[in-house]
Formats: sequence, C-alpha cells, structure tokens
Amino acid sequence: MFPSGNHTDPAKTTPAKLVLPFYLYAALSFLTAAILLLISVKDFTGHFFNPHILAITHIMALGWCTMIILGASHQLVPVIIEGSLYSPVLAMSSFVLSAIGIPLLVYGFYQFNMGWPAKLGGILIVLAVLSYAVNLGLSISKSGKEAVQSSFILSASLWLLITTIVGLLLVYNFTIPLLQRNSVEYLSFHAHIGIVGWFLLLVIGVGSRLIPMFLISKYQQYGILWWIFGLVNGGLLAFAGFFLYNGAAYLFFIPLLMILAGLFLFIYYCYQAYRERIRKKVDDPMKLSLVSILLLALPALVMIVLLGMLTGMQQAPSKLVMAYGFLVFFGWLTAIILGMTFKTLPFIIWNKVYHRLLGKVKAPNPRELFNDKIVQAMLYCFFAGLGLFFMGILWESVLLLRLGGILLLVTAILYNWNVLYLLNHKAQS
Amino acid sequence: MRDITTNNELMATIALAALQDVEDPEIGLNIVDLGLIYQLDFDEQEKKIYCTMTLTTQFCPMGGSIRANCRHRLENAFPGFEIIVALQFHPPWNASRISAEGRKFLEG
Repeated sequence: MFPSGNHTDPAKTTPAKLVLPFYLYAALSFLTAAILLLISVKDFTGHFFNPHILAITHIMALGWCTMIILGASHQLVPVIIEGSLYSPVLAMSSFVLSAIGIPLLVYGFYQFNMGWPAKLGGILIVLAVLSYAVNLGLSISKSGKEAVQSSFILSASLWLLITTIVGLLLVYNFTIPLLQRNSVEYLSFHAHIGIVGWFLLLVIGVGSRLIPMFLISKYQQYGILWWIFGLVNGGLLAFAGFFLYNGAAYLFFIPLLMILAGLFLFIYYCYQAYRERIRKKVDDPMKLSLVSILLLALPALVMIVLLGMLTGMQQAPSKLVMAYGFLVFFGWLTAIILGMTFKTLPFIIWNKVYHRLLGKVKAPNPRELFNDKIVQAMLYCFFAGLGLFFMGILWESVLLLRLGGILLLVTAILYNWNVLYLLNHKAQS
Repeated sequence: MRDITTNNELMATIALAALQDVEDPEIGLNIVDLGLIYQLDFDEQEKKIYCTMTLTTQFCPMGGSIRANCRHRLENAFPGFEIIVALQFHPPWNASRISAEGRKFLEG
C-alpha cells in the first residue's frame, strides 16, 4: 500500500473545448489581416492615421495576438500559477464577448464610422477583458501561491483592461467630447500601455516560466524577474504620468530606459536559461520563440530614433511610426505566436484525441500531428515578407509593400492550413 | 534503479521495464529515465500494485495522459493485478532526478 499520505489528486487542467475556439479565431483573424494588408498596401505610403491601417492594427492586436494569448493562457495559467482555472464559464464568456466585439469594432474603423457598431464592439471587448481579468485574479487567489509569474500575468491583464477602457473612451470621444484632447493625441498612450503593459508583461511572465521548463534548465533566478517586474511597471506608470501631465519630450526617455533595462534583463534571463539547459537539442518552435525575443530589439531601436526626433523638436515621420507598429504586431508578436502555436496546439489536440485511447491505439508523437515542412516554408515566407514590407514602408515603395504583403498572406495561408489540419486530427484505428 | 523505493526488487524491475515505454510527449524521454517514478509497491496476496509518481510540473497539461498510460502499461505487464497510480509532488521533481541515460539522450 502507499506508505505516505502526500498523494495529490490529479490536477484539473483546462478542457480543450475552452481553448481551441481562441486558436481558430486567431488563425482566421491573421488571415483576414493579411488579406487586408495586401489590398491596402498603398495606404502604407501615406499617414499612419488611416481607417484601413487602424482596422488592420486592431485585427492584429485583438483578433490575432490577444485572442491566441487569451486561449493559450487559459491552458497555461494553471501551469504557471500552479492552480486550476477558477471559472470555465468566465473563460468562455471572454471568448464569446470578444469574438462578437472585435469584428464590430474593426468594421467601425474600416468604414471610419464611430457609430453604434464600433461603440458596442468596444463595450463587448472591455467586458471580455474584464471576464478574463476577474477569472485570472480569482484563479491566482485560489491557488494561494505567490509566484513572480502570477504577478506578471495579473498586472498584464490589468494593463489590458486599462488599454481597452481607454480605447473605448477614444471611440466615444470621436462623437461625444469626453477627453481634454482629441482622440488622435491619445493614440500613443493607448498603444503603449497595450504593447508594453499587456503584451510585453505577459510575454515575460509566461516566457520566464515556460522557457526554462521547455529547455529543462537548471537556471532559477527569480530575483531578477522581480527587478524586471518593477522596471517595466514603473516605466509604464512614469510614462502614463508624463503623458497625462504633458511632460516634455525628453522626460519620456526615463520610462523608455526603464522598460529597455527590464527588457535587457529578460534577454539576459533567457540567455542564462539557455546556457544552463540540460536539453541540448532545441526544437524549431522553441528556436523561433527565442529569436522573437531578440526581434523586439528592432521596434525598440525605432522607438529610440522616434523619441530622439521628438526631443529635437522634429515631427516624427509617419513612416517611422508605421514601421514601429508593423514590427511590433507583424514582427515580434507574430513570430512568438508562429513558434508557440506549434509548441502548444499539437499537445492540446493530442491530449484531447488520445487521452482515453492510450494503450488501445498507437498514439503518434504530438509533433507528428502537423506538417513540419509547411512550418518551415511558412517561416521562410514570414521572414522574407516581414523584411520586404518593412523596407517598403521605409522607402515608400508600393512594389516592395506588395511583394511583402503577398509573402505575409502566404504565411497566413500556410499557418491556417496547418492549424486546420491539426484541429481536424482524428485517431488512427 | 535510481531514487525509487520498492518492497519487491524483482517485480519492480519488470514494472520499470514496462514503464520505459511511457514517454513524456513533450520531452520525448521515458518517465523512468526522467525520474518521475518515486515508489513501486506490490501486494501479491491482494494482487495490487501501487505506483507513486510525479510530473515535471504539478499542472502539466499532459499529466492525465501520462498517468493513464502508466496504468495501461502496468496492466499489460501484470495481468490480473489491480493497478493504482497516485501522484505525489513532495518533494517536487527537479532535473537532478534524470538518470545518466536520460541526460545522455537530452544532450544528444
């Protein structure tokens, strides 16, 4: 018999049916954004404040990046916080609300009509994020464990909530004056609390747990993560303060340097985890995830140039602002997602299909559930498309933009093909 | 046998050979060399086998499948025995539990 009383009931993991709709929705959003990108290439030679660019940005930020992160985090949060997800109902409501809200908001931007569809879309998105944040907070509270990663993902969800509330206020501000300044002036505030507060904090929180875990690394220095947490959140608060109280342009170097310091510490953390790994052979999705962390250096560099120009009393060139946004959403975040999809989704499908069949049928390895050659082709198209489109923005070349747009559309088609192939996987008898 | 306690060395050897076929799907290494098995006890009179194991992380999404696969492999290796597989997370798993063969596999 069992000699000790330390046994634990099997951990309750998040059911696949809660997670898979997010993945499918995100894949289709990526495809939609890539199609719109290709048919709107001429818009990328003009000013960044353009209905089509606004629509594409929000499909990428919400439909693609946020939806897949919400889905994956419902699956991974139990691993990170070492506790079950508090409510599957709140998880599903965050999907349904955002799945309806995002197309309404995007339609409003595309038509540049801030009427009821955009307003209702914005409200639904705020409610979706509220469902997610409440679920996350209650899950962490129930787990009773104080891990630095929990602080990262909880603060990220709060920044996302603030971002969406500010976004909703901006939508209303177009028709009913609610704010002191016009909506366009708040765009950089809205964008940066979203990019840094939501995406960067979440990527660091999740990555700091998963990267050493996937690499089976001996490196476990959580002290450095608290420093990163303080630097990034402190930088964001300073940024918000300077923005809301009309701080001089040079003051914005303070939050920028704080956030960059946090970012470099995270790169150092990942490097140490990589150096002290036991698992020497690193698979392709993991390599891409590591490369994508370095990819963040590109938009950070563009941001330094932009801020330098603003400090020198120059007008920030629109194409640099566009290049910055493009590198964040189509570069950094898309690279992470392309890598992590094939690191998480095959295992979710494998678990769903083979959990009750183990020992009865020969189960393939989860890595065999998708076509690796298509992943390779997708990555070549992605990096080539990213580079060409980026140069197209800087040189205002429609030809380069079109070539880059075609390659990014091929990337999205190949990604969708593999995701649908995975989702339709059935057990072999 | 490494860091595994048992009340029957002979039967444990047979059980561990069967469990060598259970892989952690993400890592690709079998759970014996990964160091997930803590204890194997055998009650020949009652025809029961008690397997105490862990996971690399408590909320491992693959945990249910790994545990079910363990039970199937032991059922096949010991027909007529009731198999009870329990999870234990104290002490938690860490990389020092990986066997020399496991390390060789991961470093290859």
